[in-house]
Amino acid sequence: MPPFTSESGGRWYKGTANAIYENVNFIEYLDPNYVLILSGDHIYKMDYKKMLDYHIEKQAHCTISVIEVPWDEASRFGIMDADEDGRITEFAEKPENPKSNLASMGIYIFNWDALKAYLEMDANDPDSSNDFGKNIIPKMLADKNKMCAYTFEGYWKDVGTVKSYWEANMDLLSEDNELNLYCKDWRIFTKNRNLPPQYVSDRAVVKNSLVNEGCIIDGHLEKSILFSEVSVEKGAKVCNSVILSGSVIEEGATVCNAVVMEGVRVKKGTSIGEENGEHVYLVSKDEIIKE
Amino acid sequence: MKNCLGIISFSNDLDKNFGTLCNHRPAAMLPFGGRYRLIDFFLSNMVNHEITTIGMFTGTKIRSVMDHIGSGKPWDLNRRFNGLFVFPPLYDDYTAKSLGNINLFHTNEPFFRNSSEENMFICNTSMLYKADLECAYDYFKETEADVTMIYKKVKDPGGRFINCDKISIKEDGTLDHLGTNLGTEESFNLFLGSVFIKKSFYLKIVRDAIETGTANYLKEALLNNRRKHKFNTFEHEGHVESIRNVKNYFDANMNLLDSEIYKELFSNYGTVYTKTKDEPSTFYKDEAKVSNSLIANGCILDGNIQNSVIFRGVKIGKNAIVKNSILMQKAVVEEGAVIVNAIVDKYTRIEKGVEVIGNQTVPYVVEKNLRIGKEDK
Repeated sequence: MPPFTSESGGRWYKGTANAIYENVNFIEYLDPNYVLILSGDHIYKMDYKKMLDYHIEKQAHCTISVIEVPWDEASRFGIMDADEDGRITEFAEKPENPKSNLASMGIYIFNWDALKAYLEMDANDPDSSNDFGKNIIPKMLADKNKMCAYTFEGYWKDVGTVKSYWEANMDLLSEDNELNLYCKDWRIFTKNRNLPPQYVSDRAVVKNSLVNEGCIIDGHLEKSILFSEVSVEKGAKVCNSVILSGSVIEEGATVCNAVVMEGVRVKKGTSIGEENGEHVYLVSKDEIIKE
Repeated sequence: MKNCLGIISFSNDLDKNFGTLCNHRPAAMLPFGGRYRLIDFFLSNMVNHEITTIGMFTGTKIRSVMDHIGSGKPWDLNRRFNGLFVFPPLYDDYTAKSLGNINLFHTNEPFFRNSSEENMFICNTSMLYKADLECAYDYFKETEADVTMIYKKVKDPGGRFINCDKISIKEDGTLDHLGTNLGTEESFNLFLGSVFIKKSFYLKIVRDAIETGTANYLKEALLNNRRKHKFNTFEHEGHVESIRNVKNYFDANMNLLDSEIYKELFSNYGTVYTKTKDEPSTFYKDEAKVSNSLIANGCILDGNIQNSVIFRGVKIGKNAIVKNSILMQKAVVEEGAVIVNAIVDKYTRIEKGVEVIGNQTVPYVVEKNLRIGKEDK
């Protein structure tokens, strides 16, 4: 559902709530009782059905999925304070002194009637930034709607930055990673490009890595994630890195602690990143950004 | 290649050469190259050349065929018009009077008659190759031949192509005769089993063969007419794998470790499509040592793997050794097990410390679904 364009021009969605508001007609047409709102940049496996059952059981107007985060990191998240019954009493966006360590996961279930009313109110408020976290949720809470927290246990990662994107990928390499991509009961489906199997040559070393179809590995690969059709040439070394589809690490090049974008050629003899450095490098066709 | 019908006919004749590998599947459904079945190459060759009406004669082991092919979606053959037509054998064939496959073609005559295409491309699933079929088709049309047969000039000192079809060609490129290669000549013309044929001609010879009882096989019916009609030939210059027995099959898989052959079979003349599985990437653990191997997705590898072809979802434990072997889908090799010169079929488990060792000329075949433990040895 891209933003609309009309005779008088088009406009981008102004915020997360505005994106839903602009498509109210579509939701009305489907005539749902409940609406589940998700963000596309979080990584987790969750059975939304259980959350919906909880929402119905609690007879809430809105249910927000929360996860316990370490206390010292709590000030980076939207923090919910809930009573014993799971009812949210307070919501604070990135508080300096958090009262709880329950962070909002950006997963909401609303009763459609309630959400629709608040979206309309929000759209008519010129001062609003039309955002769920900043506007809709605080407003509903202030109006004493029944808002419940649904506690989720398991892997959850917000990938808002290059570093967290890199970290989320690296998490997959740890032996006990909770995401378990190999679980047959909860497959992750994706577009399949029908590529041939990967080839590992007799010179290659591949250790603690995830490698996808169509890759050709002739170099040294350690603690890395290779997307499809990546080529690691003779004498090249890749460690602690994420290499996206179609990239080539040429002969003798070294790539450490980096995210290499699609279709990039890391030229012969180039060296990117330090093996145990704390920075993560984003390598695109035009530039290398250090984070 | 508009106006051309594709025909794939599995014969079960070769199945016995594959031992337990073909207990439940026809030879055309043998797993190949880490994630494919042989049939994928033929279907892909056809759809990549815009043949969109394909008739498939499945032979008797239909279950395996239907499981893989389904509606033909992976090849974009699940169409409202035309697409894939599957012809299983008739259980109760009232015309079944001859031994060969000619009846099968005769009883399904309406399919051929009712399709709008005027030409046909028939292929043989024991000869694996990828080619620019468009060139061959143009030649067939330009020369107004009734039949164009595709062959390759081969040098075969090792006897790789013994018992394959051998073709002799007259100076003007037309067919002289077709026989079986017994290895008396080192260089000869190998018939690839693929032919272009005019549909009207095909319909006539099948009818004639049934009515006169002069042929049991389609090939026989064709050859009976080679003097009276125009049969010419077209040379294929690329790589060919003949897959007629366990050894050929094993070698064909191993040949994929050669980067030239890998490139020719996987990337030239279009993608090879297959039933996809949504497997995650393959995970190489700390102890994994992999060299010169082809590895599909969804595997978890922690052992020593050398010169092998590993299919989807295989697990290889710590200190296990896999050398010169083919491990099919979902095979599990436990810690410390050793597999050398073997073909391990689907869903097989080789338990801790077991050694499965074959001979380089006779690979050891482990049957599907088996569990091999220490006490079995």
